[in-house]
Amino acid sequence: MSSESLILFFIVGAVFVGAVLIFSSLVPPKSKNPQKSEAYECGIPTTGITWLQFNIGYYLFAILFLVFDVETVFVFPWAVVMKELGMIAFVEIIIFFVILGLGLLYAWKKHALIWE
Amino acid sequence: MGLEQYLLMRHELVLTLITLIILIAELCIKGDNSRKIRPFAIILFFIATVVGFLPLGEGSLFGGMFQTNGMILIMKNVLNIGVLIIFIQSYTWLGNEENKIKVSEFFLLMLSTLIGMDFMISSGDFLMFYIGLELATIPIASLAAYERTKTKSAEAGIKLILSSALSSGIMLYGISMLYGTTGSIYFSEVAKSLHSSNLQTLAFIFFFSGMAFKISIVPFHLWTADVYEGAPISVTSYLSVISKGAAVFIFVIMLFTVFRAMTAMWQDVLYITSVLTMTIGNLFAMRQKNLKRFLAFSSISQAGFIFLGMIGGNELGMTSVVYFMLIYIFSNLGAFGVVSAIANRTGKENRDDYDGLYLTNPKLSLLMMIALFSLAGIPPVAGFFGKFFLFTAAAKGGFYMLVLIGVLNTIISLYYYLLVVKAMFINKSETPIQYFKSDGYTRLGLIICFAGIVFTGLFSFVFEYIRVYAFGV
Amino acid sequence: MTEGTPLTYFLILGTIMFFIGIYGFLTRRNLITILMSVELILNSVNINFVAFNKYLYPDKLQGHFFTLFIIAVAAAEAAVAIAIIINIYRNFNSINVEDADEMKY
Repeated sequence: MSSESLILFFIVGAVFVGAVLIFSSLVPPKSKNPQKSEAYECGIPTTGITWLQFNIGYYLFAILFLVFDVETVFVFPWAVVMKELGMIAFVEIIIFFVILGLGLLYAWKKHALIWE
Repeated sequence: MGLEQYLLMRHELVLTLITLIILIAELCIKGDNSRKIRPFAIILFFIATVVGFLPLGEGSLFGGMFQTNGMILIMKNVLNIGVLIIFIQSYTWLGNEENKIKVSEFFLLMLSTLIGMDFMISSGDFLMFYIGLELATIPIASLAAYERTKTKSAEAGIKLILSSALSSGIMLYGISMLYGTTGSIYFSEVAKSLHSSNLQTLAFIFFFSGMAFKISIVPFHLWTADVYEGAPISVTSYLSVISKGAAVFIFVIMLFTVFRAMTAMWQDVLYITSVLTMTIGNLFAMRQKNLKRFLAFSSISQAGFIFLGMIGGNELGMTSVVYFMLIYIFSNLGAFGVVSAIANRTGKENRDDYDGLYLTNPKLSLLMMIALFSLAGIPPVAGFFGKFFLFTAAAKGGFYMLVLIGVLNTIISLYYYLLVVKAMFINKSETPIQYFKSDGYTRLGLIICFAGIVFTGLFSFVFEYIRVYAFGV
Repeated sequence: MTEGTPLTYFLILGTIMFFIGIYGFLTRRNLITILMSVELILNSVNINFVAFNKYLYPDKLQGHFFTLFIIAVAAAEAAVAIAIIINIYRNFNSINVEDADEMKY
């Protein structure tokens, strides 16, 4: 794809989206009442503000997830060439997992996995 | 392809093993384990330090990603000695009521940063270098925020992690340019295809700014004083000695090997930053009342002196940098040890509190005096020889003007080091710090520092021993 | 897909992202936003590495692997930074930079 077609793609996209938005604002019947501008929450009136504080537990889980999630990035390249690399690479990845597992065990021991 | 070749990374393997053993011990021991973990970890690390001195060959591993030789081995041993002293000094502080629940974390994080530094020093390509560098900085940030209830500690932690993240981002941008222009991330191949094109010069500047953050060179020093003041004293001494030392070591190696083709260019950069660092570090150190901040600025200005050794690019320079770092570890840890002993007992950290210390605690004040004299570079103690060789190395490279500026700065620095000595020995105070007897571990740490300052200054074979392995541009 | 798009486009994108990151780091007042700026810087480096690798040195994968490691390390860095930010919030009741100013020159 050359850059001309890319520009054309953007123009067509912008025009199409704009046309649909304008069209849909012209067509429907209009009604004005205070309920329309409220946030929708299951059909019942909302209570409180939306800038709530989240429980600190969410952050703990997010941090744990973040770390263990990204480590898989190292497993995929290994899995692709597993057969060619053979035994040494297998042992190495096992060591990698053992150290990761120790980290998880540590989190467990420190009660990071309990929802308070 | 035997397993023996992995012995080349003996330092790292032993340290990893110790870290895992402490982690497993922490998982297994129930209840209050601070009593058992502390001596256990120190003994394990002492064994590792001794093992580090066994002879080891040269070589490289993982297709050149990891390399080691005699010089790198010495550097790792120097760092090991420093960490051992810090462990011994922090023994008492770790026994405090609030720290009891997280003693093993202290050792785990310290040891993992040390592993990172060892990998960083013996890296053979930019990838290993980057991973080692990050492993050396991320845990130290959580250590700076170690005292959870103190606001200053949390603030130090966030300042450290954000500024180090920014600096490594800038450095990586430089590395990506180097990769783009040379087509490799291996040191040996990058060195071959460097030829000071504009983009490579820019890449070096980016890389230099990243490193300057870690060594806290002016104008990249702004985080230093705040982090040093806010962090616990053990962590501060670790940052000012070990982190800085490791960064200096790898920087020397990289300047002398990777950036060999750009020598004329980096000499200019080093010249300007070294003058700035010495002068501004000194000027700010003069007006500090808090001793931790004071030592922070004094360590900034010491970094400027270290650049004097690098700038010549000769093997005398490399020797003097490592030798100076060894002396600097002993003297700075001695000063920090005294500050920490007094702060642990009384909570006082300001210079005014030290008035009349000699009358109540003569031994501590004598040790502090020797450590400060060594930092300043007054002849009978080791610091003089360290600075002397740095100046010689710069003069050998033909930088006479820089040596003159360095000598002038040494004289300025005498003023503020002597202010502390004056406070301890001459000033009178109605409420001096009461006499106290410190416990065995604190005393052991201080005695090691004292012996180190005397020993490295008196016996020249330390210098000769390092010089055997040194190399120039 | 990338045929016809010159390498410079990617490098310009990387440079713009890098400096947006630097600008955000220096001007923002919210700690989380500062952390996001750092991630921008790291991602601009990733773009550089991948583009150089793809265009100039397609026979070796060094640039790609560097990128993988940068991603992993950035995650670890973010985890530690967020943990410290939570601690800051507990101490100061705010994550604004101007409130965390106990120490100054």
